[in-house]
Order: sequence, then C-alpha cells, then structure tokens
Amino acid sequence: MTPTHFSFTTAFILGLMGLAFHRTHLLSALLCLEGMMLSLYIALSLWTLQLETTCYSTAPMLLLAFSACEASAGLALLVATARTHGTDHLKNLNLLQC
Amino acid sequence: MNPYVIMILISSLGLGTTLTFASSHWLLAWMGLEINTLAILPLMAQQHHPRAVEATTKYFLTQATAAAMILFASTTNAWIMGQWDINQMSHPITTTLVMTALALKIGLAPMHFWLPEVLQGLELTTGLILSTWQKLAPFALIIQIAPNVNHSLLMTLGLLSTFIGGWGGLNQTQLRKIMAYSSIAHLGWMIIVLQTMPTLTLLALITYIFMTTSTFLMLKLNQTTKITTLSSAWTKTPLAATLLSLTLLSLGGLPPLTGFMPKWLILQELTKQHLPLTATIIAISALLSLYFYLRLCYAMTLTISPSTNNSSAPWRLKNTQSTLLLATSTVLATSLLPLTPTTLAMLL
Repeated sequence: MTPTHFSFTTAFILGLMGLAFHRTHLLSALLCLEGMMLSLYIALSLWTLQLETTCYSTAPMLLLAFSACEASAGLALLVATARTHGTDHLKNLNLLQC
Repeated sequence: MNPYVIMILISSLGLGTTLTFASSHWLLAWMGLEINTLAILPLMAQQHHPRAVEATTKYFLTQATAAAMILFASTTNAWIMGQWDINQMSHPITTTLVMTALALKIGLAPMHFWLPEVLQGLELTTGLILSTWQKLAPFALIIQIAPNVNHSLLMTLGLLSTFIGGWGGLNQTQLRKIMAYSSIAHLGWMIIVLQTMPTLTLLALITYIFMTTSTFLMLKLNQTTKITTLSSAWTKTPLAATLLSLTLLSLGGLPPLTGFMPKWLILQELTKQHLPLTATIIAISALLSLYFYLRLCYAMTLTISPSTNNSSAPWRLKNTQSTLLLATSTVLATSLLPLTPTTLAMLL
C-alpha cells in the first residue's frame, strides 16, 4: 500500500465514520459526504497522474461535477427539512418510524 | 408539478438505469446510479409535506453514501489491480465493499432500516417506482460482480433478509411498510440463489416486479394505505378486492399463483446444490411473510357483509384512473405458473 493510497483511504474512511457515527446535524452529514467525494477526487486525479494517461483525465472533472450536483441536492433538502421540521437536527427526523 | 419537469425527471430516471445497464466501466455505472438518485428526489418531495421531505432526506443520505462507497471500492480496485471493468473486479476486499454498498442501495437485511421509513413517507406511485424500477440498476451490477463475491457474505445477507423481512412485517398496520418488508424478504430469496444460478435471480426479480406493481396499483385504485381502510375496499370495488387478495397470496408464494414459481425453483436449486439446511430455513422464513399477507387477505375478504365490521363504508365515487397497467400486471401476477416449463426452457 503506497502512502498516497493510504492517505486517501484514511480520508474516505474518516468521512464515512463521521457520517455513520456523528448524527447530530444534517449539515455535518452533508459535509462528511462532501469530504468523502473530495477524497475520491484526489484518488482519481492521482491515479491519472501516476499512469500519465490522458484518456482518464476527464474522470476527476466528471466526478467533481456529479458531487457538486449531489451537494446541491443535499443543501436543497437541508432547506426543505429546515422549513418542515424547524431545525436541522437529525433526531427530529422521526415522523416515519414506529 | 409542471408536466414538462415531470417528463424530464422520468426520462432521466430511465437514462440513469439504462446507463448503468450499458456500462462496463465502474465510473459510468456510478454516474448512472447518481443520475437515478438525483432524478427521483424531486419526484419524492413533490408534495411539500413533512413526511415526504423526511423520506426524501433519508433516501438521499443512504443512496449518496452507497454510491460513494461503490466509487471508493472501484477506485481502490483500480489502484490495486489496475482494472476498471465491472466483471473483472476480483480483489476480495473491494468486492465485499461493493456488495455491501449495493446491499445498502437496494435495502438488504442488515442495511434495510431506511427502506420501510422511506416507503412510508411516499405516495403510492412514487413508492411503486422506488420498489420496482430503482432495484434494476443495482441488480444489474450485483449480477455482474456476483461470481467474485464471498459466498458466505451472500448467504448471510440472503438468510438475514428473508428472516427480517418476515419478522419486521408482523407488527405493522401500514400497508406501505408491509410492502417494504415484503420487498426485503423477496430480495433475500433473490440473493440466496445468486451464485448458483443467476438466471433464477432474474426470474425472481421479474415476478416480484409484476406482483408489486399489481399490489401498489390496486392500493392506489382503492386509495388505501392502512389495514382499516383496506377492510372496506370491497364496498367500492369487490372484484378488485378479490384480485388483490389473490395477488397478496401470490406474493406469499402459494402454489397455483405466479409467486410460487421462483420460490419452487430456488428451493429445487438449493436442494440440488446439497444445501438442504439453507433450503429448509428459507422455506420456514417464507411462513413468517405469509402470516402478514394472510392477515391482509383476512381483513379484505373475511370481513365482508355477513360478519361484523367496525369500519364505515366509504363513498362509491366513479373511478377515473387508467387501469390498463393494473389489469395487465394483475393477470401476470396471478396466472403465470403454467408458463414455468417455457420459462425454464428460455432461461436455462
């Protein structure tokens, strides 16, 4: 396992842990998702750089575009949740459980 | 919602699934899954209702996490093996990670907790899309990576799903939650046979889609989401109530109906593979699911006129919904069993 491989794996796993275990605010969940996507962006860019292939150089850009769409959808849902539930606390999302 | 916007969303929904079907590269498959998720979010939240928004948020969080995990596993695979092809993925850690992520995406047993809550917050048409069309893209990926996945992981996922699907549905009175648990149980049956015979997985998925389509459309016709309103459905549409109980028994897997076909063939295949214990366990877990289907049938057909009924009869309004898809899917969901030899000849 190379140091770069180790560093982006650790970054992704830290983001995933934050998403899974730190469940207070919706905003922090969205930030963790964004951190996971950015670590994947670094992984893809470094892979392209290491192999020096030009045909894969669009892949990190596509990933970044999709993660931006995903983040904007997440922020829209944050606004919608704040309007319907009053806060962005994840413990308030309890209408559907029984 | 504006019909043009709905048209764009529905076509992106189709585009995402088609992209995942057509791709052999993990990045494109991931893009298809993301397009799919992003397209269904506005459809889910189109009623600005607290429950709809909450269901959409939960769905978004799980699907985004699963998609990120899939891309992480494929990137790791590319770093280790130098390979982006979907069916060439062979490193044990990455295949396990991808299988876990895909199980989270379709709602298999240890990762199933989002499915009943999300389905409960949606209206019936969106729920129908969620429990049929949204399963297709992850299943295309699951079938492609299946030969390299750890065998005991798949068996554990399958057995846990059939049991938790049966147990979870026992205590529910909301029809959409019952349908969610029925979905979990059926997915367990599909995953059990995935490595020994993937065509049976496809057969079970197709029959499950017919039966679920029929059930959801019938519930939409009667506008019922609870057992209590279901018990007065016969006053509005008596024939449809009878057919709905037949469709539910088909979901439970009783012999003269379609739902028996995949269960029969899966049990036969497991016996052929010298796994009699697994076959016995999932056959017994089907009884758990059968209990809540039977309870729905009891509420629908055995509480009619001569016996006492506590619910008040609803107004009999003229139905204006189109019933072509309902009629087709009900026929498919109840009477496909005689086609078993033809299906076997086509599949095997």
